Amino acid sequence: MNKIKITGNRNLLGKILPTLLIILSYLFLYLPIFILILFSFNESSVSIHWTGFSLKWYLNLFNSPEIGRALMVSLFVAFSSTILSLFLSTSLVLAGRWWKNSFFNNIFYVNIILPDIILAICILSIFSFLKIPLGYTSLIVGHTIIGLGFAVPIIRSRFVEIDPFLTEASLDLGAGYMQTFIKIVLPLLKPSLIAAALLVFTLSLDDFLIAFFCSSPTVQTLSVYVYSMIKTWIDPTINAVSTLLLVISSLLVLLVCSFKVVDRVISNE
Amino acid sequence: MGVLKKIFREDLPFVFAAPALIWQIFFVYLPLFVLFLQSLDFRFSNYSGLLNNLFFNVIANSFILAFITATICLFVAYPVAYFLSMKVKRFKNFLLFSLILPSWTSFIVQVYAWIFLLQKNGPFNIILYKLGIISKSTHLLNNYFAIILGMVYCYLPFMILPIYTVLEKMDKRLIEVSADLGANKIQTFKKVILPLSSTGIMAGFLLVFIPAFGEFAIPDLLGGGKKIFWGSLIVDKFLMTREWGSGAAFAFIGILILLIFFTFFYFIYRFLIKFIRTKKLWGGYE
Repeated sequence: MNKIKITGNRNLLGKILPTLLIILSYLFLYLPIFILILFSFNESSVSIHWTGFSLKWYLNLFNSPEIGRALMVSLFVAFSSTILSLFLSTSLVLAGRWWKNSFFNNIFYVNIILPDIILAICILSIFSFLKIPLGYTSLIVGHTIIGLGFAVPIIRSRFVEIDPFLTEASLDLGAGYMQTFIKIVLPLLKPSLIAAALLVFTLSLDDFLIAFFCSSPTVQTLSVYVYSMIKTWIDPTINAVSTLLLVISSLLVLLVCSFKVVDRVISNE
Repeated sequence: MGVLKKIFREDLPFVFAAPALIWQIFFVYLPLFVLFLQSLDFRFSNYSGLLNNLFFNVIANSFILAFITATICLFVAYPVAYFLSMKVKRFKNFLLFSLILPSWTSFIVQVYAWIFLLQKNGPFNIILYKLGIISKSTHLLNNYFAIILGMVYCYLPFMILPIYTVLEKMDKRLIEVSADLGANKIQTFKKVILPLSSTGIMAGFLLVFIPAFGEFAIPDLLGGGKKIFWGSLIVDKFLMTREWGSGAAFAFIGILILLIFFTFFYFIYRFLIKFIRTKKLWGGYE
């Protein structure tokens, strides 16, 4: 009798504990963000107390030319570095098809493994060594470096799966190299290209450290601008900017996950 | 022409790989080399200058912070990943996706969320006040606890993901086999599940430890810059005081310590897994 009761309890515990743990981890991860979003609609500026619903912080946000400029810089840099890393890694992967060892692909793992701060000082030092002023170029270079670290393995993993007879058949049937590339290789690579593009774009938008080193006072990404806002004065405008950033990156991540990019990254690690 | 075609057909010319390789070498390996030369400064004075207490403390601070963060993340993430892969039946992918979603949104926003929560007169303060734990509003920011909280918050998903992947890929029949052969749940865990998930733990530890070691923004914003860490000192050397030589030397010492740590960690870790598997630890025979 007693024994049955114990096992019954244990089963109950075994059922409740996982659910409880998962709910707690969700609370831990989401509650801060929800409170942040909630208070971006708060009317009061100094106090944390809820005084009423208002959109004035968003108006504030859209009226501020600096924030608009920072957002444009962020988007432009993310877009350019995505295009660049896709171009560079695709051409690298195409050339590396028959390489026996993957040395040339492995040299890009450094970009993932090294702490971001090291990559940041690398880019800073090469730009100051060449006396190129910091700005768009340095930001794009930095984010492309990060992007290559992820794009090369993702695209390569798809490329090695392509049956070599397909391209050979295409060439035998009279298609040129360009035609083969556009009609055979590119469509087969498409899922990995989309996945890599979305990932690089998201990483570029989220990045703070490299942007912090590579920004100039006039050309700042939104992350760096938010950082300087936090450093100087905290008011609900930051909540509004944060909500904006959250919405943009959440939408992107939704896209990323719909293309199963996460599986690809993991399977490569 | 025939030769050219042969080359083309068997392999695209090396020219195609060149842009990416040049980019990588020019912007990563070359600066690393230049910085290394700069750090040597032909005198080693940059390195000998670092051999005092302050710099040792800074490295130790970062190391301890990264270690605590990675360990807490491991102990929180393992059960979550375990239950997610073993017990949850429906909406598995959705649950996993929503767990990692916050960490993929803007990093600085995540840090700000905690600043907002913990600030003076912030939501946490009010809750604690209402509960009667504190008598008046106090600063919950700018202390070690806030740093750890922020670090764990930002890096937790990076620990969950690899462990979950390994557990998910594991052949679940092995657990049944282990039970059929008479092992109880604890024995099954330490002899089957834990050794098989050890690559995931290792990967997660690496994924958390390395960025946590080089972290700058979280100690700076949540810790108020009271304690100096490896990352913050590099920022200081490179952006504020512009002592690049010693900054670079300091950066390389950090990398060296990371390398040494992970070499040691690998062996200790393998020993530990073997120890748990074979030795009489949490009950059970053998």
